Amino acid sequence: MNGALQLEPHLEPPLATVLRAPAFLHTLVDALGSPLNIVLPDRIAANVGRFRAVHGRHSLAGQVYFAHKANRSRALVRRLAATDAGIDVASLGELQHALGAGFTPDRIVATGPKDPQFRWLAARTGVTVSVDGEGELAGLAALVRRHGLAPVRVLLRLSGFEAAASGIRVRSRQSRFGTSVTLLDGLLDAVERHRDAVEPVGVGHHLDTTSLDEKALALEGALHAMDALRRRGFRPRAVDIGGGFGVNYLADGAAWDRYTTALTHAVLGSRPPLTWGGHGYGLRAEGGTLRGALGLYPAHRPLAGAAYLDALLARPAPSLGGRPLGTLLLENLYDLYSEPGRALVDQCGLSLARVLEVRSTAAGDRLVRLAMTADDVSLEEHGVLMDPVLVPRDGPGPAADDDAGCDGTGSDGGGPGAHGVYLTGSLCLESDLITRRAVFLPRPPRPGDLLAFANTAGYCMDFSATRAQAQPVAHKVAAWEEDGSWRWCLDEQYWPLTPSGGLTA
Amino acid sequence: MRYDSITDAIGDTPLVRIDPAVHGLRHIDLYAKLEMLNPFGSVKDRAAWNMARPGLPDAVRRGATIVELSSGNTAKALAVIAGMHGLPFKSVTNRMRVPEIKELLLLLGAEIEELPGRSECLDPTDTEDPLTLFHQELTRPGRPSLHTDQYFNDLNTAAHAAGTGPEIIADLDGRAPDWFVACVGTAGSSTGVARALRAHDPAVRVVGLVGEKSDFIPGIRTLDEVHEVGLFDPATYDTIEAVAADDALDGMLTLIRRCGLLAGPTGGAAYHGAVRHLRPLDAESAGAAGADGRRRTAVFIVCDRVESYLGYVRERRPELLGRPPARNSVATLTDAEIRATTVIDTTDARKWIAAERPLVVDLRGPFAYAALHIDGSINIVDELFDELLRGGLPFSKRQPVLLACPVGEKSVRYAALLTRMGHPDVRSLAGGIIAWRDAGAPLVRD
Repeated sequence: MNGALQLEPHLEPPLATVLRAPAFLHTLVDALGSPLNIVLPDRIAANVGRFRAVHGRHSLAGQVYFAHKANRSRALVRRLAATDAGIDVASLGELQHALGAGFTPDRIVATGPKDPQFRWLAARTGVTVSVDGEGELAGLAALVRRHGLAPVRVLLRLSGFEAAASGIRVRSRQSRFGTSVTLLDGLLDAVERHRDAVEPVGVGHHLDTTSLDEKALALEGALHAMDALRRRGFRPRAVDIGGGFGVNYLADGAAWDRYTTALTHAVLGSRPPLTWGGHGYGLRAEGGTLRGALGLYPAHRPLAGAAYLDALLARPAPSLGGRPLGTLLLENLYDLYSEPGRALVDQCGLSLARVLEVRSTAAGDRLVRLAMTADDVSLEEHGVLMDPVLVPRDGPGPAADDDAGCDGTGSDGGGPGAHGVYLTGSLCLESDLITRRAVFLPRPPRPGDLLAFANTAGYCMDFSATRAQAQPVAHKVAAWEEDGSWRWCLDEQYWPLTPSGGLTA
Repeated sequence: MRYDSITDAIGDTPLVRIDPAVHGLRHIDLYAKLEMLNPFGSVKDRAAWNMARPGLPDAVRRGATIVELSSGNTAKALAVIAGMHGLPFKSVTNRMRVPEIKELLLLLGAEIEELPGRSECLDPTDTEDPLTLFHQELTRPGRPSLHTDQYFNDLNTAAHAAGTGPEIIADLDGRAPDWFVACVGTAGSSTGVARALRAHDPAVRVVGLVGEKSDFIPGIRTLDEVHEVGLFDPATYDTIEAVAADDALDGMLTLIRRCGLLAGPTGGAAYHGAVRHLRPLDAESAGAAGADGRRRTAVFIVCDRVESYLGYVRERRPELLGRPPARNSVATLTDAEIRATTVIDTTDARKWIAAERPLVVDLRGPFAYAALHIDGSINIVDELFDELLRGGLPFSKRQPVLLACPVGEKSVRYAALLTRMGHPDVRSLAGGIIAWRDAGAPLVRD
C-alpha cells in the first residue's frame, strides 16, 4: 500500500487545545471514571456565528435552530440560549429543557412525532409547531379552542418534492414525515378551516440526504408552496429547510481516499482484511466485482456545515428563472430557518475511555479493551470512521513495544510505526466492538492510557448509551479555558456566566 | 459515401498522428483514435448500437422502453437509437453532473431519472442501495424494458474487439501499436481493443487511466469505482494510473489549440496520461529504437467532443471562457459614486411617489414580483436591467426613477450607474422591499 491507513480527526480549537492537556484529561477520568464525555460549550456559540455569517452574505434574515436531539447536554443548550440562536425540540423533555435553559418560546420550534403532553406544552407556551399534516393540524386547533389558547404559529412540514415537469425525475429517499407536496391543496384547505386557531408562518422540510441537488429541489418546491399560501391570502414569512449540512470529520482527504481504496481491495480479497471478520461496511465481492454500497458517513467532506448552506443558497432554481435560491428567498421577503444538529455541535466535544487490557489473539490480531461499551461512543453505529487520539498515562514520548513480533495487524497497512488494533468494549457480548476495523495508532496503547474519541458531540456521544449489564454510563462535564488553564464542572452545573463558567456569578 | 441508415456510419474512425513538436516524444509516434467522429459523437456509439441491436425487434414488438444506467454518452447514443425505432428511452443516473449533457438528452427525447443521494444520518441497517431498487423495478411485471446493461454486457466489449481494435491494426499497416492508452469508464473500449491488439501481438502494453478519487472527470471511473464494473478485469491492464481533472483539462487544451482535435476532457485525460506514461520510456528507447531500427507507436482514444463540457470548463477554469468587461457595468463603479447616490426611505418614497409619480422599477425576479410588489411598479429583473443599460439609458431623462430591490444593495448600485450615465433624478429605495414591508407600507398582488 502507498501510505498509512490512519484516519486522523480534523481538530480545531478548543477541541485541539484540550487534547494537548493530557494531565487535565487523566485527572478528570481518575475522578469521574471511564467512560467520560466532555462538552465544549463556547464552541457552539462560535458555530452559530458561522451560520449567521452565511445569512449575512445572502442578506437573509431568519433563525438557526439547533436540532437538540444531536446532544442532550445541558451545558451546550444553556450556552446556546445565551446566543441569539433558536432550538428545535423533538420531545416533551427537550422542550422543558429548552425552556428551562432560558429559551423564550419565540426561539423554539417543536418538530417530529408529538405526544399529547408535548403538544400541550408547545401550544400553551406559544412555541412554533412544525406540523406533520392535516391530522396534527386539526388536533392542535382543537387543543387551542378547548383551552382558549392564543393561535399557534405553525410551519407546514412538506415532503416528496419532485422536479417540475422537465423530463428529469429526481428520486429522493422516502420520508416518514411531512405531507406530500402533491397533497398541498388539501392541507391548505385544512389551514383555512382552522385559521382561527393556527397561524401558518411558513413551510418546512427536512431531507435526510447529503445531496445538494435533492436539497435544492426541495427548497425550490418550498418556494412554490409558500406562493400557494400567499395565493390563499396568508402572509407566510419563513421557509424552514431543516438540517443535514454535515460535518467534516477527517484532517486529510487523501487519507480517506487511501483508506476506502484499501477497504475496497480488502473486500475483493486483493489485500489482507482491515476489519474484524472481514466486515465490508456494506460492500461485498461477487465474482471479482464489487457489489453493494459503502454504508459509511462520508467522513472527509470539504463542503460541510455553514459552507454547505452557503452552496445550497447559491444553487439556481430552474423553475424560477434560474435565479439562485438565496436570492429568491430574499426577493420574496422570506426569512430562512435552518435546523442544523451535527453541524452546530461540530468540534464541541469528545469521549474518553481508559485502556484496560491489551492482548493478542491466536490469529495475531491485537485487541485493546476499553472501559466503555460500543453504545457509549456510537461512531460505528453512525458509520463515522475516525481514529481515536492516544492520550498516554505518563505523558508523551516513545514507549517500548513490549510485545513486538505478534503484531499481525499492525505490520500491514499502517505504514511505518503504526500499530493496528481492534478496540473492544466492556460488555460480555461478541458484538461489543467499539471499532469493527483495525485502527492504526502511533504506538501500542498500554493499560492506564486514555483513548480520546474526538468530535463526538453530534449523535456519537451518548446518543445510544444504555445501562446494559449494569455498566456505568458516562458522566458528562463541560470544560472551558480561562486565563490559560482548563476549568470544568459537571454538565448539569454549567451556566454560561462567563468568565468563570458558572462557578461564581 | 452513401448509407441507408446513420447507424451504418458508426465506426471506421480516423487514426490521426499527433505532431511530435506538440508531445515532444522523439522515438515514439503517438496516434489519436478519433472516436469523437462517430455519428452521435462518441466512442459509446459502437457499444450502444451493438448492445441494443439484437434486442430491438423484440423491444419494438413489446413496446419496451430502453433503459440504461448512464449519465453521458451511452445515454446519448441510446436515446438516438431508441428514437429511430420509435421506442422510449430512460436513463437512470447517480446524478448527472454535466448540465449540457442533461439538456442534450432531454432534447433527444430521453427521460432522466436521478437516484437518491446518501443518507446524512446514516442507518447502517439500511442495506438497500439505489441500484438494487433499480434492478427490482426492471424485473417488475407489466413494464417491458430492454436493459442494455453497459457495465456488465459483453456486447459492449465485443463492439471494440471486432471494430475499434482491428481498425487500429489496419491503419498501422497491419501492426499492433507498442502501447495502447485508454480511460476506463465501462471498461468496454479498453478491454475490447486490448483483446484485439493482444490477439495480434501479445507484446502490446495496455495503460488504463482512472480519475483521482477526490476528483471528477466525466466518463471516467475512479480507482475504487472501476471495481463496480462487471467488465473490468485488472488483468487487462499492464498498469493503471490516475489522472487529475486539472491535467485532463490541460491535455484537452493541447488537443484543441495545438492539434485541431476538438476533444472533451476524457480525450484530454487520455492524451495527458499517454504522454506522461511514455516520456520516461521514450528516453530509454533511444537505444532500443536503434537496435531493431523501428520507431515505436502508441495509440490513445479520443472519446468525445468538447462542446458538451463548457459548463464543466466554466466551473473549473472560468478564465478560459473570460469575456471582455462590459460597457456601463456596475462592476466599474467607485465607492464614491455609490456613496453619492440618492437613497430615500419608505416614508419619503411614498410621499415622492404620490407627488411626482416616478417610475418605480422593481429589480427582483418575476416570481417574487408577481407574489407581492409596490402598486404601480414595473418589473425588470436585475440581469435584464444590466443588459439594457449596456446599450444606454432605457428611459427619458425627464422621467424620475425609483429603483427597488430586496434590501437596497443592488438598487443603489444601479442608481449610481444611471446617474453616471446622465440621468438627473434616480433614487434608490433604502432597505429595499423588505424595509418597505417592515414599515407597514402596502404591497399588492395583481
